[in-house]
Amino acid sequence: MKAGEVLDDESIRSYLHRLIGDEGIELLEKFPEEGEYSDEELAEKTGINLNTVRHSLYALYEKRLAEYRRIKNTETGWLTYLWKIRLENIHSALQEEMAMFMEKLEARERYEEENDFYRCRTCGIFTFNDVVDIDFVCPRCSQPVEHFDNEVLLHALKQRIADVRACLGHE
Amino acid sequence: MADLEERALAAIQAEREGVLQSELWKILSIDSRKCSRVVKKLVDEGRIERIEHKGDGIKTYRLRAKEQALRPDLILAGGEIIPCIACDQECVVEECHLLVDWIYQLAIDEAQK
Repeated sequence: MKAGEVLDDESIRSYLHRLIGDEGIELLEKFPEEGEYSDEELAEKTGINLNTVRHSLYALYEKRLAEYRRIKNTETGWLTYLWKIRLENIHSALQEEMAMFMEKLEARERYEEENDFYRCRTCGIFTFNDVVDIDFVCPRCSQPVEHFDNEVLLHALKQRIADVRACLGHE
Repeated sequence: MADLEERALAAIQAEREGVLQSELWKILSIDSRKCSRVVKKLVDEGRIERIEHKGDGIKTYRLRAKEQALRPDLILAGGEIIPCIACDQECVVEECHLLVDWIYQLAIDEAQK
């Protein structure tokens, strides 16, 4: 799978950018299409700092988006790691991320459903429990708080959770 | 064959209610025998399910994907990626301002639809 095709997708590009930053994306764009390369060769070919190349490769490796083969020099005993990119695994990497963040969204959904919210125009949102015993003033600045209707927020959250669940086949 | 399998799966995933096998081979512009082989492979791999379907006196199968096509766009809201991915902060979902900001973006996206 060519890196260019994968990186054309805005969402996937954002994901990879979160993992490896600007220079990591540059590494992917410049990574030769064929063959396997040591980190030093890649730094030389791409002009990217060696430490950044290593950091990016290991971050990708953790998500199975890069793999290496280790070879040993029989004379010196030195080990060399030869890398190649495995962007064909991007969908399974994203699936794992979605399963992880779906749990967090569901936890937030429960919190939004189980609480009543109040807003201070200066300090932000508080729960009913935060303000009920202090006469509905802001716990930080003591200004009166007003009821905050989270219906729109909750609806959007539920919709996204439903979409992610469907996408993961959890219906 | 692998490419055809992916095309078949994509066609099945594209319809929430699935696709009739008698329609699938027309969608893919292949003959029905070849279509049967592809369908069998997808069933054996557990990627689709095959449900008997009778319509107009003809027996066929409704093919439904077990997983919908992956939608990478679901990690974004307002062009921003969900903060939970590659987050190195201690996770307290109830207090995470980054997550709340992202959910606000989600609500804005929803309102703009």
